[in-house]
Amino acid sequence: MLRSIQIAAIVAALAPAAQANEFTWSVTTDPQTMDPHAVNSAPVLGFLNNVYEGLVRRGKDMTVEPALATSWEPIGEGEGWRFMLREGVSFHDGAAFTAEDVLFSYQRASDEASDTRSWFAPVSDVVVVDDFTVDILTSAPNPIFPSSIANWMIMDSGWAEANNAERPDKESGNFATLNTNGTGAFQVTAREPGLRTVLEPFDGWWGEVEHNLTRAELTPIQNPATALAALLSGDVDFINPVPIQDVARLKENPDVDVIQGIEARVIMLGFPHEADALKYSSDITDANPFADPRVRQAVAHAVNVPAILQTIMRGNAEDVSQLVSPAMNGYSEARTARPAFDQDKARALLAEAGYPDGFSFGLKCPNDRYLNDEAVCQAITGMLAQVGMRATLDAMPVQNYWPELRADNYDMYLLGWSPGTFDAEHPIRFLASTPNEEKKLGSWNFGGYSNARVDELLPMIQSEIDAGKRQEMIDEVTQILQDEVAYVPMYVQPLVWGTRSNIELTQRPDNFFILRWVTVN
Amino acid sequence: MLAFIIRRIGQSILVLLIVGLVAFSMFNFVGDPIDNMLGQERTAEDIERLRIQLGLDQPFPVQYFKFLQEAVQGNFGVSYRQGRPVAEILLERAPATLELAAVSGILAIIFGIALGVFTAIRRNGVLANIVMSASLIGVSLPTFLIGILLIYVFSVELGWLPSFGRGDVVDLGWWRTGFLTESGLKALILPSITLGLYQMTLIMRLVRSEMLEVLRQDYIRFARARGLKDRAVNFRHALKNTMVPVITVIGLQLGAIIAFAIITETVFQWPGVGLLFINAIQFVDIPVMAAYLMLISVMFVGINLAVDILYFFIDPRLRADRAGGH
Repeated sequence: MLRSIQIAAIVAALAPAAQANEFTWSVTTDPQTMDPHAVNSAPVLGFLNNVYEGLVRRGKDMTVEPALATSWEPIGEGEGWRFMLREGVSFHDGAAFTAEDVLFSYQRASDEASDTRSWFAPVSDVVVVDDFTVDILTSAPNPIFPSSIANWMIMDSGWAEANNAERPDKESGNFATLNTNGTGAFQVTAREPGLRTVLEPFDGWWGEVEHNLTRAELTPIQNPATALAALLSGDVDFINPVPIQDVARLKENPDVDVIQGIEARVIMLGFPHEADALKYSSDITDANPFADPRVRQAVAHAVNVPAILQTIMRGNAEDVSQLVSPAMNGYSEARTARPAFDQDKARALLAEAGYPDGFSFGLKCPNDRYLNDEAVCQAITGMLAQVGMRATLDAMPVQNYWPELRADNYDMYLLGWSPGTFDAEHPIRFLASTPNEEKKLGSWNFGGYSNARVDELLPMIQSEIDAGKRQEMIDEVTQILQDEVAYVPMYVQPLVWGTRSNIELTQRPDNFFILRWVTVN
Repeated sequence: MLAFIIRRIGQSILVLLIVGLVAFSMFNFVGDPIDNMLGQERTAEDIERLRIQLGLDQPFPVQYFKFLQEAVQGNFGVSYRQGRPVAEILLERAPATLELAAVSGILAIIFGIALGVFTAIRRNGVLANIVMSASLIGVSLPTFLIGILLIYVFSVELGWLPSFGRGDVVDLGWWRTGFLTESGLKALILPSITLGLYQMTLIMRLVRSEMLEVLRQDYIRFARARGLKDRAVNFRHALKNTMVPVITVIGLQLGAIIAFAIITETVFQWPGVGLLFINAIQFVDIPVMAAYLMLISVMFVGINLAVDILYFFIDPRLRADRAGGH
């Protein structure tokens, strides 16, 4: 009602001829900056994908497709990649897009001050061949490089220089923190951090327009109940996420649609592989049972994942056997079997490992990071207790959680991992490699899991050009991780979006919301 | 007199310093902002570098001292989350909270006094009893629940009022007001009722009990005996004498309305300083949290100081106290 009045008013005031299709959506976290190179976080990159573009982009099914580059090819025997750039592209301020902007954006995005610089670790040099050809040289053959830079967004060098924003500055901010100038289908026309961000279609966009929007507005709403009320009352057209417990109720409402899918994020249990003793045990204080693969195997068999999915996730999630979801590149089709829920086997394994009566330990868990994380941990605590592993659950906000994990204050922990590159190599690098500060390996491998063969295979996976051979190596790593139970992967977190029923849109597994696929009917 | 005021100001500054110290000692428990600021692909080296850069490696008294040093020069630092000066963000958000607080305060005062007088005069009336029972809801139901209920009824079911936000605002240059647009006024209704309900019931119950007390006084009986009209007795004589303690409470509640707007702002996604504070806690945005807490304590201490000084003028016993020294 109110909305229609507003729309009517704006139609009357601004565009008497054209139909106005306004779209309002809400998210829980406002993008903290408009600078595409300052922060590497999903709310920022997801939003800016509507405004800025990279050389390549991801399609509706996550496949890599041309964006500012029309085509690309490997150089020589894997010395790098040559990108042929799109001609006739202009930035929102009218400046023309050329190879100089690519070079500039590389320098900006790989700067010390940029959060995205790890994307360019394999890059040794960027060479401008001519105005519309760029060579990106890598220090080793890198077959997945084009798909790893889908979120690397190109900024106009002239605009950045003119506004003193040549380097990202996330500590004190600069012009690019609040203003944008991309080549994307939408341009930001108003930005009030934490309140609203207004987007309008960019008339000069090079691509074919699929949406029918005339204006879009993003409003962060932190309180899930408020967001839900806003959707139900029609004050917003789209919310992400919908609280799991409200899904069934929303589905019955004819004005609202629920769109479900599985996300890239795998939820798993982690262990202190390197610790000498348990930290929070009342009975085993001089040994670390979790160093024994049989104990970890027992955990895998004792946790009833189907029950968690059915009750806590209310049937909205899928179980998983490995560190990546089936939607990711490199998912190991050969290793899809999960350890079955089998309490007798778990008890037998514990007895075999020398703990027939079980033991007590501490389970650390975040309570505001993943969907229903604390409830999942409570369920796990109960399930483990049934086979004699008596966990004391300590759940806390995520801001306190990471420092605890970094300080090794846990006997078991819950972790969710979403591979930024949408490739199976990503979790191997961050979670399964022996931690090595210098090589930037294993930086989220809190437990210090280490396997020489995995460490040996990782660089080979990174540089293997042949897809079949690469998959074989990923399968081998997956098998090692499963056999040794490095982690206990449990399920893939669901994506639950809610829209008004007159809206059509596309849900992508990376939880990015792409405005140019939205139509208002 | 002057000595009294100076002493009170001195005490107020001491209270402020202690509040700040307690706040800073608690920031250690709110969590670590570093993981939010660096992405997934950060290294231990990045974490250490940023920690030193932000001064988070220092013990909290040192951090507090640095904050004070900057704060007295009017510099509240830069928000970790937004990368903008905190003072600028606070100024941007303050009008929303102040307008909401003003409207809820006025609603609470008008309805609180009117209903209080009504229930006192008709103390045995059916309607008055219903109002009294209903006022229990205002005292006992938590704010967020009232907010959600109002949203459910008036936005979701009836569709009369917006479910969140502040509507369209008009920028007056230094102040962004929601008073000048229809959507802005509509957006004010539910949050201001939610925020003011507790204060309204408080004022109402206070007015009622004070009024009942006053109505028993001899001079009211004499007024009635003189044949004055009910209206004159109730409003000119009784209500006037009721108002002295009520005004004191209203003054103190004004601070509470602004400070406790946090919950209402969260429920209605009202873009004020309270919501900013909640966001800051979630992100461990220490500069914003510190500035907000200092601001709120300055406000409370200021109001109390003003009340103390007013008492000094109004109540001769305070002055006698000092002279007598018993």
